[in-house]
Amino acid sequence: MRSFVRGNPWRFAIVAGLGFIAVYPLVSDDLYYQNMIMLSLLLAIMGSGWNVISGFTGYVSLGQSAFLGIGAYTTAILSVRVFDGASPFWFVPVSAVVAGIFAAVVGAVLMRTRGHSFVILTIAFLFVMQIVALNWSEVTNGNHGITLPLPDWNRDYQNWPFYYGFFALMLLSIATSWWIRRTKLGMGLVAIREDENKAGGVGVATPTYKVLAFVASAVWIGAAGGIYAYYLSFIDPRGMFDIVVSVQIVLAVLLGGRGTLWGPILGAFILEPLNEITNQEIGGGNERLIFFGGLLALVVLLLPRGIIPSVQELVARRRETGTAALVGERLGRPLEVRGRAAEPAPRTGRALLEIKGVEKRFGGLRALDGCSISVEEGTITALIGPNGSGKTTLFNIIDGTMSRDRGEVWFDGERIDRLHTWERAHRGMGRTFQVTRLFREMTVLENVVAPLRSFTWRQLGTVAVAGHEAERAEELLDFVGMRRFASHRASALSFGQQKLVELAQVLMLDPKLIMLDEPAGGINPTLISHMAEMIRELNRGGTTFLVVEHNMPLVLGLCDPIHVLARGSCICSGTPTEVQADPAVLDAYLGDDYLVEREAV
Amino acid sequence: MTQLVQTIVLGLLIGGVYALLAGGLALIFGVMDVINVAQGALLILAAFVAWTLWNDFGIDPLLSVLVTTPLMFGLGWVMYKTTIQWISGRPASMSVLLTFALALVIEGAMGMAWSTTYHAATPGYFAQSFRLGDFYFPKAQVFGCVIAFGVLTFLYVLLRYTWLGRAIRAVSENVSSARLVGVNPKKVAALTFAVGVAMAGAGGSIASVLYPFLPGSHYQWISRLLGIIVLGGMGSLPGAVVGALALGVAETMTATYISPRWATMMPYALIMVVLLARPQGIMGAKLREDAVI
Repeated sequence: MRSFVRGNPWRFAIVAGLGFIAVYPLVSDDLYYQNMIMLSLLLAIMGSGWNVISGFTGYVSLGQSAFLGIGAYTTAILSVRVFDGASPFWFVPVSAVVAGIFAAVVGAVLMRTRGHSFVILTIAFLFVMQIVALNWSEVTNGNHGITLPLPDWNRDYQNWPFYYGFFALMLLSIATSWWIRRTKLGMGLVAIREDENKAGGVGVATPTYKVLAFVASAVWIGAAGGIYAYYLSFIDPRGMFDIVVSVQIVLAVLLGGRGTLWGPILGAFILEPLNEITNQEIGGGNERLIFFGGLLALVVLLLPRGIIPSVQELVARRRETGTAALVGERLGRPLEVRGRAAEPAPRTGRALLEIKGVEKRFGGLRALDGCSISVEEGTITALIGPNGSGKTTLFNIIDGTMSRDRGEVWFDGERIDRLHTWERAHRGMGRTFQVTRLFREMTVLENVVAPLRSFTWRQLGTVAVAGHEAERAEELLDFVGMRRFASHRASALSFGQQKLVELAQVLMLDPKLIMLDEPAGGINPTLISHMAEMIRELNRGGTTFLVVEHNMPLVLGLCDPIHVLARGSCICSGTPTEVQADPAVLDAYLGDDYLVEREAV
Repeated sequence: MTQLVQTIVLGLLIGGVYALLAGGLALIFGVMDVINVAQGALLILAAFVAWTLWNDFGIDPLLSVLVTTPLMFGLGWVMYKTTIQWISGRPASMSVLLTFALALVIEGAMGMAWSTTYHAATPGYFAQSFRLGDFYFPKAQVFGCVIAFGVLTFLYVLLRYTWLGRAIRAVSENVSSARLVGVNPKKVAALTFAVGVAMAGAGGSIASVLYPFLPGSHYQWISRLLGIIVLGGMGSLPGAVVGALALGVAETMTATYISPRWATMMPYALIMVVLLARPQGIMGAKLREDAVI
């Protein structure tokens, strides 16, 4: 313990705070402050839960207080109506399970939407629960609410069972958050927050992750609802499914620091005492609404990142002056990849990827109109064509970002056009983007570790950045020449550097096929030849490439064969020489005055 | 049969008023991607103003549209300038939180000014109806619907035939292109927000006669309005009108044939079903996600 806190004021504050809460009821019998701490603990539990779904995963829920109500009603109904006066504490675990089940079902449905829609749906979920509790009076006693038995223990113990029940649940919530944050599960959630489509593309089975996050965000709130019902000894629909409670949760976490481990706790212990004091000083009801509404507006406007991240940033800025200069430093000469061979990969003649008659429409526009191409194993195949010819759309259909209207996609002898993006990634398909899409808030190393080659339940619980994978990621960063940036945030990199990191990220999937969308777009000539060298190197190691590119010298020097796309279908395929001589290609893309010149790249 | 037709007509009448209110929400969302959750609170505020004008000065609540509309226009402009404009470019959910916060403040302020009890404006024609054969049409609802469509027509003309209207439509299509051709998106956004809130002003005056209200009624109203624009396709004005009429009919049907207490559930059920089955709504276009760079 002493070594844990030594020289670290953060940890000291945490240990001191938790210690204070742990002993407070033993040394003081002031019920007013005990009540205040209990309500703070409750808010901390709810905030910590909300933080998992909204802080880590980025899905803002305004319906989180519904799980408090679900837990409270579960315990109340079981102890009063079903088991006729049994101690409510028996049913607290049941409340947790019921809240978790609700979260799984509701989450599986609601999380098909994003952004605004999700926020609105969570509000709707909360009000639907309230209306059900009001109207289903046979079970919930409707408007009249349910009265629970009074505590049956010796008065000498005051409210200790409630107090320590909440305390234990808060510790469990914190432990859950901590565990999630350091595992593959947590890294997947952050990836979803940063860029959900991209997360799917690098092998994260996003729906499973999101539902798990929603369940994790609900169970402890459900359990707390059970204890809370017993503590209040009376519950009714309006008090239990209260949107203002949801607002308090959001406010507490925003105040403390969304996405951090201790932010929700800090926020709760600031907000709840403030709530009590304002209740006493300025009265409840309307004044309270104005106070909380005003505070929420102020926090959103002035302190959107919360206390802890803002303070951390201040401290970091002081400590790290100068390192920012590293960004933009010239790239060292890298290149060392496993299994390197001098010769190009042997061509097997087998089609690794086959597109058969794919069609895609956007309203009246036919982006792809019966497009068929195949990519032979071991080649660096190019896909060229004028803007709007459907190249990126084809990429999106191959990797599953978009669904095709008609046609088939075969990969490695298997039909894949109905598979999810992550399932395609698991089969050995990787892709980079025209405009890079790294997970901006993650470090470079985390970005490279994030891809997953498979989905297993056990994998979810393994530590995110560790062991063999971390070593492999560092190797890959070394390969692309970005190792020294491993601990930088991705958003701090230049565009060209991001392209290199994105390549390393894709390589982490150990893909059979890499699809590059304009690898040379927007980067300097030195980097372009560097990029070409790496592509050749990887190809010698056995990786097949499909490249979309407008830089003709690069394409002609690097790729063979070349497919030419125009108006949604493939008009010509062949070697660079054949393609350059084809009149249809000259007409559609290169232009009549295009001079055949094979520059060495 | 008579009852069915009667129910549908009543639903359409009330739907006309919903259309006006939801139109403001759709307009604001279409132009600036902000869901103004405070729209419900603003309409209740207008209803309280209309009620006061009627109660204290004897001004007809439907006539008070002429007062509440410009008043709320001004309030909307001030709201935009002091708060909304500072969060442009932040994640969408932040705008929901901010406008929700504003709704809470307005709710509290209304509670202090008018107390948290039910109010209703009951002018002379309140309990009267037009009769047409077997059917009857409550005068208040008919007048309300006529005024609502009057304001909506005015808005349509404004959007269609004025420079401001073109600028608003340009900004809702593409902010940076609008800027390139000389439209100041910030100014347009402020005016749009003010126009949207002004629509809540007109709608609030009408609503003060149709339903009893208290400060907390805004939750029910905002969920109703959200249901409508979700159904109609978020930023689409014609969609909002169609969605409003549909929800009006759905509500009166549920109230007549099932039970009034479950009618409150309709907006939520609608939101859930539509967002899950057809997220782009009736009239919303499905956008290419990758095209937005």
